[in-house]
Amino acid sequence: MKNPGFRRSSLFGLLPKPFVQCAVLLLILLTTEISLAQEVYRARLSPMPTTPATVDEITGEGEVILTLNGNTLTVEGQFAGMSSAATGAHLHNGPLAQPGPVIHALTVDQSAAGTITATLELTAEQITELENNALYIQVHSENNAPGELRGWIFLRSHFDNL
Amino acid sequence: MNQFLTMTIKTTGAGLLLAAGLTACGGGSDSSTAIPVTTQPAVAGFASQAESGADLFAANCAACHGANLEGTRLGPLLSGNAFLQRWGTQTPSLLLGNIQANMPPGGAGNLSAEDYLHITAHILSANGVDSVEEALTASSDFTIADNVTRLVAMRQRAEPPAPQGLTFAGNTEDFVEFVPLTAERLANPDPADWPAMRRNPHAHSYSPLDEVNTDNVGGLTLEWVWNMHEGDSEPSPLVYNGIVYMINPGNVIQALDGKTGELIWEHWTGPANGQDMRNIAMWDDKIIQATTDARLVALDARTGEQVWETVLADNSQGFSNSSGPIVANGTVITGLAGCARYIPEDCYISAHNADNGDLLWRFNTIAKAGEPGGDTWGDLDDIFRAGGETWIAGSWDPETNLTYWGTAQQKPWVPVSRHLTINDAGLYTNSTVAIDIGTGSLDWFFQHVPAEALDLDEVFERVLVNRGDERLVFSLGKYGILWKNDRISGEFMDYTETVFQNAFTHIDPDTGAVTYREDIQNAQLNEWTSACPSSAGGKDWHSMTYHPPSGLMIAPLSQTCLENAAREVALVQGGGGLAASRKFFEMPGTNGNLGKLGAYNVDTMEEVWNFQQRASYHTGTMSTGGDLVFVGDLDRYFRAHDVNTGEVLWETRLGTSVQGHPVSFAIDGKQYIAVTAALGGTSPRTVPSVIATEITYPDHGNALYVFSLPD
Repeated sequence: MKNPGFRRSSLFGLLPKPFVQCAVLLLILLTTEISLAQEVYRARLSPMPTTPATVDEITGEGEVILTLNGNTLTVEGQFAGMSSAATGAHLHNGPLAQPGPVIHALTVDQSAAGTITATLELTAEQITELENNALYIQVHSENNAPGELRGWIFLRSHFDNL
Repeated sequence: MNQFLTMTIKTTGAGLLLAAGLTACGGGSDSSTAIPVTTQPAVAGFASQAESGADLFAANCAACHGANLEGTRLGPLLSGNAFLQRWGTQTPSLLLGNIQANMPPGGAGNLSAEDYLHITAHILSANGVDSVEEALTASSDFTIADNVTRLVAMRQRAEPPAPQGLTFAGNTEDFVEFVPLTAERLANPDPADWPAMRRNPHAHSYSPLDEVNTDNVGGLTLEWVWNMHEGDSEPSPLVYNGIVYMINPGNVIQALDGKTGELIWEHWTGPANGQDMRNIAMWDDKIIQATTDARLVALDARTGEQVWETVLADNSQGFSNSSGPIVANGTVITGLAGCARYIPEDCYISAHNADNGDLLWRFNTIAKAGEPGGDTWGDLDDIFRAGGETWIAGSWDPETNLTYWGTAQQKPWVPVSRHLTINDAGLYTNSTVAIDIGTGSLDWFFQHVPAEALDLDEVFERVLVNRGDERLVFSLGKYGILWKNDRISGEFMDYTETVFQNAFTHIDPDTGAVTYREDIQNAQLNEWTSACPSSAGGKDWHSMTYHPPSGLMIAPLSQTCLENAAREVALVQGGGGLAASRKFFEMPGTNGNLGKLGAYNVDTMEEVWNFQQRASYHTGTMSTGGDLVFVGDLDRYFRAHDVNTGEVLWETRLGTSVQGHPVSFAIDGKQYIAVTAALGGTSPRTVPSVIATEITYPDHGNALYVFSLPD
């Protein structure tokens, strides 16, 4: 289908037609390769389940960007406002809003605010879980050993209109 | 990175939830960890138990019930008349069982069985039980009131005498000639009026007025404001013939001049307890109110003087009302709440003659053994069948002469706590019931969620819609599922999920039958189950609106989740309760947006648009002939959206959280938009207060705000 908004630049008009065709083909292949191989995901970190009695003890917020390239997942995130220093962070497997087991350890600053990083190799099954929003990140702290922050992972584009 | 907020600001906007006399902090507000106190030496007698219990109470209970059992906004008083009325005829054993099953709301934590005995002894001692010497045990069976010294109990009644009766005299006829509200005018309201809670019998919450519209709504300005009494408040004003009738906290009704807000009369029906009542009704020349202690009272609409009074149910048994009646062709139809106790009497919907209050019929929402549906409660004795409250006013159809009500779920909240299984449907809980207005007989029912297991009611308003030849009834409960049924036969027609839910793994597209997730089906005592939505509801008591010109149903929705753990409840007469611990968290994938305004095409059931925001919504939605939909939120914003697109066209900020039901009316051809700022409530307030902690608002400021376009 023609894109009515698309116009060739003058440069394309000056080049030999076979060259242009090859260049366009290469560009398409490269673009396709990149788009197929790399997906960007996001997790919003928010307090673990809390009550009026614990609301001042389970605190903080964060955001983690996860880039999947092939089966390599690069994790880069930040958090702040926790009640105490982080003691660990993990990637878990669990359906939306349902806790599940740890599948990878992440590197986290041992402070109440800091960064979360990791480079992980995912199995095919874990990639499927990632695509199905069945992975989440959990940050543990000195005051809240079972976990203080948590966030399920979605395609970053999921949040575009939220 | 997006905004980082240090979440250290704590809000206190939580309300009351009656749990058989004792409450959770804010009705589902939970304290997940009980606080141990210094170990006490072994105690031999009641007095020593009470002394030890005082420390335990201070550490675990006082935050909600007050250091002196005087109650707070998070929990009711546990002393004086209120306590003795509820527990005086009961035994310490029952009181202990109730506390153990329900308190503290977030979990038993480190409290031992002995600790609970000591707390019980403290509560009894503080209420004047001072003639007991022997230590309490789990089987102490003396009658509490028989051991109370009157003088001590009197000292607990710290409340000053409240006003009673007509406290401000006046007559609406000094402002406008009175015209009785006839059956015809109630069934087909004048465009200028809002004479019933949701304006028309079909509960559309729609005003055909169109002076204020998408082109000029940006010019809305404040016309007048009226400060209301403080307390828990989720009100719905009535407006008839230019007079505004308001229900205030504590069963106080006021009549105001719609043009200026001037007070015409005020009546304190009592009890003056600061508790919430969502709506009142009007018929002929009467304003009719249910009271929080389960009475039905009619006032003269012109003067506020009491005309008649009758008892809906025995308040000393725990029955109460948080919503008022509707009136259909001269019949006052009222629901009932506080039905979680194990007593012979169960919940019902009742009908009274609007002229004199005479009882016409009652429909029991709990099927007893041997009755139709009675076999859906397993082998439970009738006395242990609880729940089925009708705590939200229903709707009615002048064509069919049927009234449509939603019912609440079984109690306690989790099947294992009520000694039942997920296969014990428990009719007629969590259902739509269609009842013949003339006889009170059940015409049909549809149980949306049998054997409810997470404290997610389907009790809210039933919206009646005519589409061509179809006669439909829509409802939207805490699971966030918009249900469409044929309102003549009750047949399931369609559904759509308005927010994320993971409680059901399957909803049959042909029958509407739901299948719970396996771990929810099999939840055992003290096991935590995680599910969405939370008890704040995908939707709660805030009514949705049907906008006839567009065929859209626009609903105020909420996006949070919960962890829930059942507690043990003994099958003992007088016991019962809710019996679950709960914690709350953001709904995944919402980006922390608690509030969602969703518009749904009633023919296709598809979502046409949605608007999401951090703050939860705390008013019903109201649509108008000007293609606007109005809604208010916890963050004090009151907004007008384009009904067809959801675009925000106007907003203003009020004195505190915007809560209640917006209405629109006209006087002398001029259109007004009215809404209340208000406080209090149960899960819809508690859950945001622990998730969106950065949203703060004054803890006072109940008021009615009225807007209009400049002349």
